[in-house]
Amino acid sequence: MTTETETPRAAADSESADFQRLAELARIVTAAQDALSDEMVARLASAFGEGITLLDRLTRNEGLMHLLHEIDRPENQRFLICLSDAFTKASRDISASPPAKGGVVGLCRLGCNPGTQEGLRLVSMIGEHLSENMRELHRRGG
Amino acid sequence: MRILVVGGGTGGTIVANSLARRLSSEIREGKAKVTMLSASHRHMYQPGLLYVAFGQMMPDELYRDQASLLESSIVFEVDPVEEFMLDRNQVRTAKGKIHEYDIVVIATGSRIVPEEVPGLAEGAETFYTEEGAIKMFKSLRNFAAGRVGIVVGVPHKCPIAPVEVTFSLHDYFRSRGIRDQVHIKYHYPINRIHSIENVAKWARPEFDRMGVEYETLFNVSEVDVEHKVVKSEEGTEYEYDLLISIPAHRGMEAIEKNELGPDGWIPTDRHKLTMEGYDNVYVLGDTTNLPVSKTGSAAHFEADVVAENIASIVKIGAPVTEYDGKVYCFIEAGHDRATYAMFNYLNPPDLKPASKPMHWFKMSYNKLYWASVRGLL
Repeated sequence: MTTETETPRAAADSESADFQRLAELARIVTAAQDALSDEMVARLASAFGEGITLLDRLTRNEGLMHLLHEIDRPENQRFLICLSDAFTKASRDISASPPAKGGVVGLCRLGCNPGTQEGLRLVSMIGEHLSENMRELHRRGG
Repeated sequence: MRILVVGGGTGGTIVANSLARRLSSEIREGKAKVTMLSASHRHMYQPGLLYVAFGQMMPDELYRDQASLLESSIVFEVDPVEEFMLDRNQVRTAKGKIHEYDIVVIATGSRIVPEEVPGLAEGAETFYTEEGAIKMFKSLRNFAAGRVGIVVGVPHKCPIAPVEVTFSLHDYFRSRGIRDQVHIKYHYPINRIHSIENVAKWARPEFDRMGVEYETLFNVSEVDVEHKVVKSEEGTEYEYDLLISIPAHRGMEAIEKNELGPDGWIPTDRHKLTMEGYDNVYVLGDTTNLPVSKTGSAAHFEADVVAENIASIVKIGAPVTEYDGKVYCFIEAGHDRATYAMFNYLNPPDLKPASKPMHWFKMSYNKLYWASVRGLL
């Protein structure tokens, strides 16, 4: 927009700058034309097409959306961190322990370990809840 | 509501996927069911055949597994319909199964009939089938010099194909360095070089620039394979070394046998897209007798209208929209330039000069087609 204080020279400079920008844009298009080939365009379009198809499937997948909703909850995020932490510690511990020798005595020694007992209790509790959920799922026809 | 889609081509696939999306809650609750009956477990991108004929695409790039393109809630069966019992809302398939429906969508497509012209099937190359396109490519590879004729039968699928193949022939021979040894002559059945007036106006100077000779009012009556002469009903003839044919098409045999429409084209309401006399029978794509091009794009725009209307019938008991005759055709003006024609019942196309970016758009669409039939574009 031209104001009273703006000189005709300033307006001409502004127009010239616009044309220069257009010329730059045209040069970019020309450069793209020179750089790309039919094969490259086809590959890009293919990746884009498959990408939006995948995105569509993911966003309309009810199970995945439910999972994302669960992950949004802070207590579940803390649980995932806890799980990750447990795996890291277990990985470190297992690499530091000597290989198991086998036999009933070894098994008894392991069973007497309070950590093992805690672990077994946790796994059995998870199993109990999981089997309840699965029973419910089948009752609803899933 | 039982919705039956007969035909797994572009139109049938888009309409089925669109219905599955629009009616997802009704399908989940058991209030609606979408079933597709197709003749094949594979889906072909038919416009790609022209590229196969010039060695620019491999045949396996044209196919996808049909089931992989469909929404998981669609019941899909490879079992083509043989009998339509429209008064009883039933169809009978090749396996003898009876399917009942509340609404049926007929999208069975079309087929080439070169055998209707004596000598055409034996004497001419065509790219309308996979085998034909490969054979045409091999003939072109072996062609070194001589006279190439292009002949056109009507009606045919893809109205732009005659001019596209002519441009492609020019570029192909030029890239091999033998264009000056090849005489190309284009023959068209009406009194201008294309049925769409603005396409004819646009293509004529292109033909002149490329040195392509043309003859109008040339309706092929016979091909003398032995002497390599193609003759017209108008009394003219052309001696060729290589003959390329755009063969005439008809609707599918099942449509003809069931007497749903002359030559297999079903009489269709041009706005509602219902079969004349049947409010619960929708027709789309090549199968209609509408005065629009027989192209994937027409089938696409028709499918959008049909799906929206069927979904609204399920939801509120009435259709909500109408088809305006929209068609969008890419036109490859050789191997590195393209333009497009967009038109509807009221507005003719206004063709722009061909350009490389439009050619890339077409190249891109060749790949984006698979997202398109899934109902995403």
